[in-house]
Amino acid sequence: MIKGKGLGLSVVALAMLAVAASAGQAREEDLSAQARQCLRCHAKEGIQATFQDGDSVPARLIPEAYRASVHGVLDCTACHASYSPKEHAKRQFRSRERFRAEMTSACRGCHSSDQLRAKTVHSGFLDRKGKDGAPACADCHEAHSMAAVSGGKVFSGEKQYCMSCHRYDMEMVCRNKEKIPLKVNLSELESFAHDRLRCSDCHYGFSQEEHPKRTFRSRRDYTVASSESCRRCHFDKYTKTLDSVHYAILSQGNLKAPVCNDCHGGHGIARVTHGIKGRVLTTQKCRKCHEGIYGIYAGSVHGKALLSEQNQDVPICIDCHTAHDIQNPLTLDYHERIPQMCGNCHANPSVVAKYGLSTDVLKTYLADFHGVTLGFYKKQREKLYKPARPIAVCTDCHGTHNIATTASSDPALVKANLMKRCQKCHRDANEQFPSAWLFHYKPSPSKYPMIFLVDAGYRIFLPIMVVGLVLQVLLHVWRYAVNR
Amino acid sequence: MRRDRDRGDARIRRFSRLRVAEHWGIILSTLVLFATGLCQRFWNLEMSQWFILNMGGIDNVRLVHRYAGVVFFLQLFSNVAVAAAGVARGKWEASMFVTRKDLSDAIQNMKYYFGLHDRPAQCDRYDYMEKFEYWTILVGGLLMVVTGAILWFPILVTRFLPGEVIPTAKALHSNEAMLIFVINALWHILNAVFSPEGFPLDTCIFTGYLSRERMAREHPLELARIEGGAGPEQPEEERKETVGMPVAKPESVV
Repeated sequence: MIKGKGLGLSVVALAMLAVAASAGQAREEDLSAQARQCLRCHAKEGIQATFQDGDSVPARLIPEAYRASVHGVLDCTACHASYSPKEHAKRQFRSRERFRAEMTSACRGCHSSDQLRAKTVHSGFLDRKGKDGAPACADCHEAHSMAAVSGGKVFSGEKQYCMSCHRYDMEMVCRNKEKIPLKVNLSELESFAHDRLRCSDCHYGFSQEEHPKRTFRSRRDYTVASSESCRRCHFDKYTKTLDSVHYAILSQGNLKAPVCNDCHGGHGIARVTHGIKGRVLTTQKCRKCHEGIYGIYAGSVHGKALLSEQNQDVPICIDCHTAHDIQNPLTLDYHERIPQMCGNCHANPSVVAKYGLSTDVLKTYLADFHGVTLGFYKKQREKLYKPARPIAVCTDCHGTHNIATTASSDPALVKANLMKRCQKCHRDANEQFPSAWLFHYKPSPSKYPMIFLVDAGYRIFLPIMVVGLVLQVLLHVWRYAVNR
Repeated sequence: MRRDRDRGDARIRRFSRLRVAEHWGIILSTLVLFATGLCQRFWNLEMSQWFILNMGGIDNVRLVHRYAGVVFFLQLFSNVAVAAAGVARGKWEASMFVTRKDLSDAIQNMKYYFGLHDRPAQCDRYDYMEKFEYWTILVGGLLMVVTGAILWFPILVTRFLPGEVIPTAKALHSNEAMLIFVINALWHILNAVFSPEGFPLDTCIFTGYLSRERMAREHPLELARIEGGAGPEQPEEERKETVGMPVAKPESVV
């Protein structure tokens, strides 16, 4: 077929037509005389065809498999037209690729483009004809043992079946002309969390029998649609996402809202790990959309510790915002939960004690004016449906993503910043006003001694008073009783 | 002074209607203050939360507490003003001032209770315990008013005073409230009920009258003065057998 390609094709076509007429009968017969002649050598173990570039392929075929195949009735030259018994010895292909290309052309001598295009699975290949990485027919259908298409199962598993095509560079073209690569990296797929799944577990509707043609408006449409398949197994997470701010945005028609695949990936879905690598990786997922906030976080005391010290104790995005049911952080409900969020670590000695941080911060906040008010506002909203105004919480003084360490801060600067914060609610507050807050300190002889003395004085005086007064009553009653 | 010799007893007018009304006023305002204040002091108790939510929320409770405090302050102020005017005009004696006699009375009564003295202290219009109650609620009340005002207007206060004044005022307000609660709510009310002389309830401050018999026992010097300088009517032997001073007296006003 190297020389006189047109003639070769005609010969093959004629031969095929001749065979097709008596196919049913021919299948029962033995191999053709020519095939038997070729098999004298090509049934031997170790026989190889060598190309001009030195590469080689096995040239052996198993007579039984060939006889059982749909092409078992054909002469070898029906496909290998250039290998007539006379020409055989002189024929040598330049390379393996060249050989594959020629063999594919031979198939298409009988199987027309229209016939091939009728199967959606082929259409992608036909468009890529001649390009690098385009599959050859024999890659999927086997060269000498191809089965009938209907019911012919030649693959050991679904994954192998799908990979027989999807290992090649293929693309799906969306209506907006965006292209979606369809090549699957099997080693990547198998090294991640879903290695035991079948392709159709996620790509439902597709199987060895069915391969519906689907077109999407855009690449994003495809991503959003494909994330729907996750809920079949991860229904708990899916229902959580329904309560999230991301889903709310998506349901309003904004396709930029993240879906499962955006954070978890498509085929390379990583196993959830709670180690430092996993935590850093998680922040990078959020960063994809929230770059600005990530930048601020990375400069905060928490972000620096995570990224430069690989510290696992500091919070990452999902510790405050959660992973799936992410709430709108601008709501009052979210605002009221902030002390508890911070308290998860800052009131937990096993987390913060090693950094010399006080675990009284939550207690001192909750016991003070703001904390008590916040607690009641929360209850009032739940039980009395009473609207509440926002009350200063941790983030109002310490910042949210830009939280700085208090250790190295200049107290005067802290107070000056605090005054500005106080003035947001207490408009006339002056520079003295922030000192009304005890900065999470419990009064002690060294810190706020005046308050310490007042408390201590009453703590001593009150019991003495109670004992004295009770004694006075008892003595009086006792004397009264004795005198009577 | 009113006597009803036909019924075999004599009652002496001890408190004017104004004082009776004043006592009622103090009862009501302190009841409101204690209810709305203690639930804030012990905010994490289930009972406090129930009360606050039933009051319509913490803001309502704070509002009621503050205005009840204003009423309480007006009561204290009027009490002191009326007393001062009365004393200045020579209408009343300054009988509520603490004197050296109060100390010796207290010591004598202690001795009497332990059997080291043969009779209790002879008291005038107000005995030392009554004075103690009065001054604790007056001085303590004024402290509550001042610290309460500081907590009510923290921004105004910090214009003139350092910020630390606010938490100090809070500590004083909250601790002093407990002291007043113990002395004037628990101890005072228990005495008014369980005092052997007054059981089941000492009604003197509600009616304004005290029996002559109790006057003779509890305020012999005043009785003597009322009855024209004559000495106590009770024979010496009988006096020895009675208790010399009242512990349970609901009088807390001049």
